[in-house]
Amino acid sequence: MVSVPSGPRPEESARTKQTAVAASRLPIAVSLLLVTLAISILFSLSIGAIHLPIRAMLAALLQQHALDETQRTILFAIRAPRVFASAIVGAALAVSGLMFQGLFRNPMADPYIIGASGGAAVGACIGIVFLSQFAIFGFSATALLAFAGSVLTMAVVYSLARTHGRTNSVTLLLAGFAVGTMLSNSTYLFELFDPNSTSGTRIVAAWLHGTISIPQWKQLAIMSCLLALSLVAAYPLMRRLNTLALGDDYANQLGVRVETARIGIILVGSLLTAIAVSLGGLISFAGLIVPHVARLWLGPDHVRLLPVTALAGAIFLVIADTLARTVLAPSELPVGILMVFLGGPFFLYLLRKNKREYTL
Amino acid sequence: MTTPAPLLQLVTAGFRYNDRQILANINLSLPEGSCAALIGPNGAGKTTLLRLASGAFKAASGKVLFEGQCLSAMSHRERSRLVALVPQQLDVPFEFTVQQIVEQGRTPYLGLLRGPAREDRIAVDRAFDLTDTTLLRHRIFNELSGGERQRIKIALGLAQQSRLLLLDEPTQNLDIGRQVELIDLLHSLRGEGITILASIHDLHLVPDNFSAVHLLAPGHALISGTPTEVLTPGNLMNAFHCAPGRHPLLVQQTISE
Repeated sequence: MVSVPSGPRPEESARTKQTAVAASRLPIAVSLLLVTLAISILFSLSIGAIHLPIRAMLAALLQQHALDETQRTILFAIRAPRVFASAIVGAALAVSGLMFQGLFRNPMADPYIIGASGGAAVGACIGIVFLSQFAIFGFSATALLAFAGSVLTMAVVYSLARTHGRTNSVTLLLAGFAVGTMLSNSTYLFELFDPNSTSGTRIVAAWLHGTISIPQWKQLAIMSCLLALSLVAAYPLMRRLNTLALGDDYANQLGVRVETARIGIILVGSLLTAIAVSLGGLISFAGLIVPHVARLWLGPDHVRLLPVTALAGAIFLVIADTLARTVLAPSELPVGILMVFLGGPFFLYLLRKNKREYTL
Repeated sequence: MTTPAPLLQLVTAGFRYNDRQILANINLSLPEGSCAALIGPNGAGKTTLLRLASGAFKAASGKVLFEGQCLSAMSHRERSRLVALVPQQLDVPFEFTVQQIVEQGRTPYLGLLRGPAREDRIAVDRAFDLTDTTLLRHRIFNELSGGERQRIKIALGLAQQSRLLLLDEPTQNLDIGRQVELIDLLHSLRGEGITILASIHDLHLVPDNFSAVHLLAPGHALISGTPTEVLTPGNLMNAFHCAPGRHPLLVQQTISE
């Protein structure tokens, strides 16, 4: 009774092969990215005003040849903290971008556009300017306020976009854009209220352009713990993101508690944003581009995209920050500005090349 | 109709949205294994009724019972194992493959950490089998034609392995060939013992293919019965404000009565 379909289409076998390849690609992709990350970190550590040969660093690592005093200072007090910070920032931005894109079912979402970064920046500025001495349980006031700022902003944006128990993703994106822009620009006001105007202002200004500072090792340890924690928390949410891609109604009737899942995604996404902002300020595009490229490579399954996006984000920012501090040496370009120049054209290229992915 | 204990029963169910009464005092029962059509003019609340029946909406008054148990008292997950709803629209933002879409039907059976296991793969394969869409598995969902999408949505509902399948206008936007294929699919699902309630605008498809019809019209009580009992010129005139004789596809049926 059921009519027989008219045989496989010409493109069928090609497609099938393509997806089969994509399925087996994950372990390869992850190991490839791990190696690339290790190599880019090594290169980044060696490049700078004073060159540190990779061979010497490896020898020191294997305890064959100790580095001299200057080399050690450069490596451990300046370069290594910054390189690791950029890796953390990259991974955090990319994964939060992945989560916000999935949540808003919109490939244009990222923590910067959606307002989370702006909120985190305001929180962090309050911390830098007024509460730089405070810390609770080892967390600096800056980091805590950044998190509070991004969660609060997301809560405001979310409730602005919500009518009659439903959230329209376009409204959400527009509300996020408006609130985020207001917040990130209001951070300029902190320059006026800054009690010790010179240093604070410089920090705030650098921040707004997105500059990865040289963190304390202790701060770095806390941030990497937080990153690990949020990646672990993100993993179970990835399956939810796949279901939410079908829309709220569908997800609801498939047994998903849509509201609970959303709140979880927003909390973890905001935490990731706060990690990135408290180490590197406002960096746009990384959270937008990295998940895109990963999706083009491996398809849209969020479970598989999580490790790939995290690693690719780390690599992307390690390389970008290395470029930022070397291309115009001895002066330094804020990595956020470099990212705009790299990311903008690249994003437009993707937009033109792969139009069908952007229909919504 | 013999009705032991109906699979699904709406008892004086009502629903309001923004203070607007959309459904009031609906009494409807679906015996296990039946294949019922829900007809009525645009805006009569057919979609709302299906959502009530799926448990996605909670009745403002009255009750929705699945085998005598209140649907709104169940957990999301329990409910989604009993009832599957195939909505009119499915828009997917990214390039998900058909396989990935249909696998989502297993969500009610998966934990947050556990990926699909053997029984999930079997259920998905079976859903592809029943809907005759195995060849579409690796295609990109957004690139499918309307008829193919309709089948995949049904496959997604079937992967849920629920006992009741609610379809919201499954024949909408389908050409006559695809409509016939879809009706054939409903027959074969019925053969599998799946209870079906489908809202439908193509009244000419109703008489030979559905065992029961429920006519929902604003301002009228729900009329239920066999197709010949319900699809009378008088009922249709009252509900649609259009003499069925004026619609070319319905002329033959009403004349033959």
